[in-house]
Formats: sequence, structure tokens, C-alpha cells
Amino acid sequence: MYYIRRGFVVQSPPMSVPPPIDEATAAFLRGPVSISVASRAAGNVPVLVRCSGCSVSQDRRRVTLYLARSKSAALIEAVRATRAAAAVFSLPSSHRSLQLKGSDAAIGVPAPRDSEVFARYVEAFAAEIDPLGHSVEMVRALLWIDPEDLATLAFTPIAAFTQTPGPGAGAPLRPAAP
Amino acid sequence: MIALDAIRDCLEGVIPATVATCAADGTPNVSQVSQVHYVDGAHVALSFQFFNKTRENILANPRAAAAVIDPVTGAQYLLALEYLRTETEGPLFERMKAKLAGIASHTGMAGVFRLRGADVYRVLELERVPGRERPGTLRRNLLAALRACSERLSRCTDLGRLLDELLACLDEEFGIRHAMLLVPDGAGTRLYTVASRGYPASGVGSEIPLGCGVIGVAARERTPIRISHMTLDYAYGQAMRERAAAEGLADKLETMIPLPGLADSRSQLAVPVAAEGRLLGVLYVESAQEMRFSYDDEDALVALATQTGMVARLLQEAAEGQDEAPAAARAAPPGGAPLTIRHYAADGSVFIGDDYLIKGVAGAIFCKLLRDYAREQRTDFTNRELRLDPSIRLPDVSDNLEARLILLSRRLAERCEFLRIEKTGRGRLRLAVARPFKLVEVPA
Repeated sequence: MYYIRRGFVVQSPPMSVPPPIDEATAAFLRGPVSISVASRAAGNVPVLVRCSGCSVSQDRRRVTLYLARSKSAALIEAVRATRAAAAVFSLPSSHRSLQLKGSDAAIGVPAPRDSEVFARYVEAFAAEIDPLGHSVEMVRALLWIDPEDLATLAFTPIAAFTQTPGPGAGAPLRPAAP
Repeated sequence: MIALDAIRDCLEGVIPATVATCAADGTPNVSQVSQVHYVDGAHVALSFQFFNKTRENILANPRAAAAVIDPVTGAQYLLALEYLRTETEGPLFERMKAKLAGIASHTGMAGVFRLRGADVYRVLELERVPGRERPGTLRRNLLAALRACSERLSRCTDLGRLLDELLACLDEEFGIRHAMLLVPDGAGTRLYTVASRGYPASGVGSEIPLGCGVIGVAARERTPIRISHMTLDYAYGQAMRERAAAEGLADKLETMIPLPGLADSRSQLAVPVAAEGRLLGVLYVESAQEMRFSYDDEDALVALATQTGMVARLLQEAAEGQDEAPAAARAAPPGGAPLTIRHYAADGSVFIGDDYLIKGVAGAIFCKLLRDYAREQRTDFTNRELRLDPSIRLPDVSDNLEARLILLSRRLAERCEFLRIEKTGRGRLRLAVARPFKLVEVPA
């Protein structure tokens, strides 16, 4: 595993190295943000899926995204083959955007708690974009996943970039203070 | 594969699209993109606004994936793409720049979103992501409206009627209530309004510079320009005021006739009218409703504009073909106090009393008619003799004289009850004078 910090690449970060996302960022990731995840298929071809929510582990070292198996066959195959993942999180009302990258992504089965996180996310996201003129029905059509179809994609973020439109887009996010 | 034009509702920028790429070393990257623009049945263009990882990746590895969403149904589509090139100017660039200006102001990002380039991609695959989308809205079939308009336009026998019929068609068949038609002046640096519909004042004779607002950009780039949200970037008022201030008196004259237009215009579409590779005019429509005009509306109006251009050319040729000497009609001199009509050599402007009427070539035509009338009470004229008259100085042989005559006759109808220009046949016209006048030539 690699950990990138201020341009240096460090093998297997010790636990003393802070996670690249701080508590405020973790709250942002758990919020009503639009989420998409990409990986790499054979031939260095990108694959892309829209996700329905995110949870962040207590130590902020692992993020878990929710997706529909029925919509994600190519991505699941790519993640299993390469373990590479990049996820973008964007808050529609402010355009604040963030990208996380990982190289240890794994597809999993949701725990009971995950279903609740997912369901809360769909409602929160619908409320977030309601003022922008989008109907709740449209959001549910886009994001709803049947329980038996729900899968998780978890990875350890090794790099984070701000992608809010503007001159700072693409800059690495400063790691949180220890 | 799903036809790309079947998902154009997803390509209006309502919900931001997502694009994924891979670096040369295989690291994936994913980001949002403001605009995935429909180019043609096999290509899309993505808005390139910032130098970022996406940009770096596609230059190294041209494969990309994009996800777009139907804002009504929630249906999602995935596009497998291959990057081809970036355009930094020209029709596609200007179409996307205008559209982005609307998206930016709608989403509070005016001043932040700036188009650096249109990244053109080939669409390799297009698939629908399985899901339970809600039903779409039922919309009228624009082909039926287009057909009805096309039949109506084909029956027009003179240019004035054709222009009015086009605007009536848009109103009655498409429900587009506010529209105008502008034609370029001889030098091609300005456009002037010859017909409008749906405004309190017709604005006939009002002018805009080439390149100004959606109309001016559509004329300059010869491409449709469509905006779906209110944006100051393409507002006319500001640009016109700045220009008038910068250029002084001559240009103040041009702003004496206000351009008709909705104060709360939220959707705008300008479509060039061309024939034989020449710009004949611009058809402009607008609405106070956001997202009023879709890709389909744009297609329909381009088809109508094309037909209008062809019919206009045929009518012009037919009008110029008339070579008979006009009947030697002599008018009985009218009674009443004479009107003073001034023609200023400095800028070619014509004033009736203190009221500004017209300037330029149309003004020169008007003065020729008045002089001939004053000299020999002559009232009947042909387009052909006007074209050949050295005092009028038509800019070139293919100049749309008929459009200038329409402008002149409409300005007279609006501004003067004693002088009228009537069509008496194809390529022929009559000056009707109901009061004596005195033409004063004011030297420069």
C-alpha cells in the first residue's frame, strides 16, 4: 500500500501517519453529495458507476460506497481485477467537490447498518436537490437500490484532491494534522 | 446501440455529468463536467474549463467514460468515449460557450465557469443503466409543427409575407410567442430588424453589431446559439450601451430604435438563415420560461430557417427579373402644409420633421424616391432601377434590396401617416404621398 503526502510516496503507512481526510471532510463525504466511482478495466479503459451513499470508518482510514450490483457488473469486475478506485463527491448546492483515490478497493456485502445509511442518504440527497427543481421521484429512480441488489465498495483513501470548480481544482487536499 | 439523439434531453447540462479517465499508469480519475454537448449522431463534446487530471489523462490515454442523467425520468446512460481533438474557436466552441454561460449563471458559477475548449469525443458505445425511471413528460411532436410551417411557407409569394408568415408559424404551430428576424447590412458588420412578433413595439430598423449577444454570435459564426437560462453574458442592453458610449453620435443613431426583446428572457435561440453559402439573416426566438428550447426545437428552427432562406432567394431572383418600365403614372399633387424631410449626408440619416426615420441604404432609397417624385411626380419604381441607381450605392450585386424595402416601408408605416410604400407587383413598388413635402439635403 502507498500513502502520498505532500508529494512523497511512502510504503505501508504506519498508524502514526494521519488519515488523508479530517473529521470535517468525513462529514462532507457522509452528507448529501453526489457520488460516482471509477476503476480501470482491461486495456486501461475507465469504468464508471453512480453510487448511493458513503460511510467513513471511525478512524477515517476507510470509506465505503453503496452501489447496485445490477448496474455495476463492469465496475465490479474491474475492481476485482485491479483494486484501483477513484471516487468523486460533489455537493450540488455549492459545487464543493472532492476526489479520493485508493488502490485496495474491495467489493463487499452490506452489513445491516449499511442499508440504513443508504436509505438515509437517498432521502437527504433528494432534499438537497429539491430546491434546484429536481423531483424526489426522479432522485429515487436514479439512486434507489433494492436491498438484495445492494453491494459495497470499500477502499483506503491514499490521496485526496479538491475539485471544486475554480483555480484550486485538482490541488491535493492538505492532510489533517495528527 | 441506442441512438445518441434519443438521449439529448440528458445533454442539456441540467444535472452535471460525470467523466472517468485513466492515466497512462492505469490510475483512474473521476470528476464532474458541466456540459456534455451533442455534436452529431456519433460525437459529443465535453466542456474543458480547467487544466486538471482529466485533461492530462485524455491527452495520454484517449479512452473516457461518461455518465449522463435524464433530469425528468432519472434514467441514466453510460457513454464509452474516445477523445479526438479540442476546438478553441468556431461554431461548436461558440455554441458551448453560450450554453455554459447559461448553466453558469443558473448555478451561481458565473465568472468561474469559463470555456477553454470543446473536447470532441467519438461515442464508441452508449448503454442505458438498468433502473426504474419514472415516465417522461408527454411532448408534442415537432415534426408535425415543422410540416405545417413548411407547407405555409411554400405558399408565400413575396419576401415581406414570407417573413411575417414565418413568425406567425412559430407562434401558431410551435407556441413560440416572441420572435424576430434580422438581416445583415451590406458591409456585414451589423444586423437590422425587419420583422418581429410578440413585442409591444416592432423594433423594425433596430440594429445590433455582429458578434453581440446570441444573435450577433449566431450571425458571425453561422451557427445556432441556444441559451436555456438567463445570463448577463449575452444580454444586449449592456453591450449596446457600452458601444454607444464608446463610439459617440453615429452609434447613438443606431440605438434610437430600441431592439425589441423580453426584459426577463430566460431561453434564447438564434438560428442563421443562409442560402447559397451566404448569410441572409438571423431568426431569433426567446421565452421567459427556462429551458424552453430543446435540441429538437433547434433542429426544427434550423430546418425552417433553411427553407426560408431558399424561398427568399427564389423570390429575390424573381423580383429582380422584372424589367418592364414602370407605368408613367403621374400623381395629382396633394394639398396641405409641406412636411420637412432632412437627409444628412454625414451619416445618411433621414428625419421627418424631428423624428428619426431611417439611415444608410434604406435612407438613400427613400431620398431617391422623394427626389424623383418632386421632380416629375413619379410614383412607380422597379427594384431593378433602384439596384442600378448610383445615388443609392448598394454595397454589392447580391445585396438583399427587397429586405431594405421592407424595412423602409415598415418604418414609414410606423412613423409617418403621409408617406407610404406599396408593392404593386413582383419587383415593383409605388410611393404614395398624401401631403406635400420639402426634401432638404444637409451636407456633411
